[in-house]
Amino acid sequence: MVTVSSDVTIQSVVRSEWLKFRSVRSSIMGVVVTFTLTLGIGALVTIALRSHWPHESPLDRLTFDPVSTSLVGVLFAQFAVGVVGVLFITSEYSSGSIRTTLSAVPRRGQLVAGKLVVLIAAMFVVAEVASFATFLLGQAIFSGVVPTASLANASVVRAVILAGVYLTLLSVLGFSLGLLLRQSAACISLFTSLLLIIPIIVIFLPQSWQNDIARFEPSQLGSAMTSITTPAHDFGAWASLATLTIYVAVVTVAGVVWLCRRDA
Amino acid sequence: MIALEHLTKRYDDTLAVDDLTFEVRPGVVTGFLGPNGSGKSTTMRIILGLDHPSKGRAAINGRAYADLERPLREVGALLDAKAVHPGRSARNHLRALALSNGISYSRVDEVLEFAGIASVATKKVGGFSLGMSQRLGIAAALLGDPAVLLFDEPTNGLDPEGIRWIREFFRTLAQEGRTVFVSSHLMSEMALTADQIIVIGRGKLITQGSVDSLTATAKGTVWVRASDLATLTTALSARGGVVEAEHEGLRVSEMTSDQIGDIALGAGVAIFELTPQRASLEEVFMDLTSDAVEYGSGGHRE
Repeated sequence: MVTVSSDVTIQSVVRSEWLKFRSVRSSIMGVVVTFTLTLGIGALVTIALRSHWPHESPLDRLTFDPVSTSLVGVLFAQFAVGVVGVLFITSEYSSGSIRTTLSAVPRRGQLVAGKLVVLIAAMFVVAEVASFATFLLGQAIFSGVVPTASLANASVVRAVILAGVYLTLLSVLGFSLGLLLRQSAACISLFTSLLLIIPIIVIFLPQSWQNDIARFEPSQLGSAMTSITTPAHDFGAWASLATLTIYVAVVTVAGVVWLCRRDA
Repeated sequence: MIALEHLTKRYDDTLAVDDLTFEVRPGVVTGFLGPNGSGKSTTMRIILGLDHPSKGRAAINGRAYADLERPLREVGALLDAKAVHPGRSARNHLRALALSNGISYSRVDEVLEFAGIASVATKKVGGFSLGMSQRLGIAAALLGDPAVLLFDEPTNGLDPEGIRWIREFFRTLAQEGRTVFVSSHLMSEMALTADQIIVIGRGKLITQGSVDSLTATAKGTVWVRASDLATLTTALSARGGVVEAEHEGLRVSEMTSDQIGDIALGAGVAIFELTPQRASLEEVFMDLTSDAVEYGSGGHRE
């Protein structure tokens, strides 16, 4: 018999969505790829830099940032976390299981809230572990040859933490694009375009415009968040975090409104 | 109890559901019949709160689906058996549903057992045959032990043994006092399964009633063989009968066999055979929906 008795609440939706998240291969693969890219690319770049260090120009040595260099894998892992976010919702549409899901949880805002709690919690843990791991790995590789950074420094801790936050926000961005478009391929292309194609377009703009526009690009916000210095034309780390959060929030709210209004 | 009031669904310029008003009562199996594309699936999706009606409303036990606190405990539905994430196991699919509505894992195992798929519970759903998927869908519908059940074309993909099993299963559910609402485009299927029938075509209600009353009201014909068919045809036509020559006899409609016998006696024709033929439910259905068939053959599913 049915023994447990309770209404559909945010807690029960979170439990259900957590089981769904971890019971398909795409999420697990996404997590594995996120680790592999963050740490793998981080190791490659730091090893290459270490061996090339004696030949670096004095200016390059002066402006060298051991933190952002060790976190460079994040710029590759951002596509993996985006895909995890996208598929968390679009796979419901491609399989048709969204109808079963919504008949179990008919309040759509509640469903999105539950899914977001699971996605944000899971990706935050994964991304923070990956960020700290790649930072520590990078510093270990640099050690003795290249100047290193230490977690005793508050701005270093901030950069490493924000690298994980950046990845978490991008997985939410992917998820929210999924709410709007419902199709995996379309969402992944759009997500990739936002991160890769827009910067390329901006390069073709006049230099004076570039300086004003480039700092609004998601990827530029990401590099400002993961840097211990602030490049001339960028926002500071916290301002970049705020800007990116606003982007993601706007897309998410639009996605929820769209989900509630449309037929499933 | 499911109640529809003036339910209407418009997609751009087509009316998928056109002012449907009816009730589906507990304790009986209610068949929801109509040709493909007649709006059955759309109606069911609206009942489940998945699609928004353009006008009117659908209520379950007096409330809109979205207002149910524990929807799976009040309503179980099987819309599309293949609508399950292919990479998830049957048990995890059901467990996720159970968790959202506060249903225990032991109930999950119970319905897996009942549906006859306990042995494949840990297998990925992507590898299931349509018949196994239907059984998983039935297990999901039963999960919350609901009083109202909806099934959209549940016999698709089932083997004859599965079809017989599901018919008896529907009867049992109805005998337990549940509301059982089953759609089909096959009248023959419903004739064996349903007590009550609701027929729609092009989104409109065509008729509703018990299986018996539907066949009773349908126009039957009478098959006649007689010594002089020409004389009898003239005599019957003169009294308002509609006569068609068929093989060695006549098929007469709009008249009872008693009337035909009397007329034949008056006309001095010897009757060799006089057989009233009751319309089958299938014929009633074809007759009722002939104007309402959206797509003649092939093509478009709802």
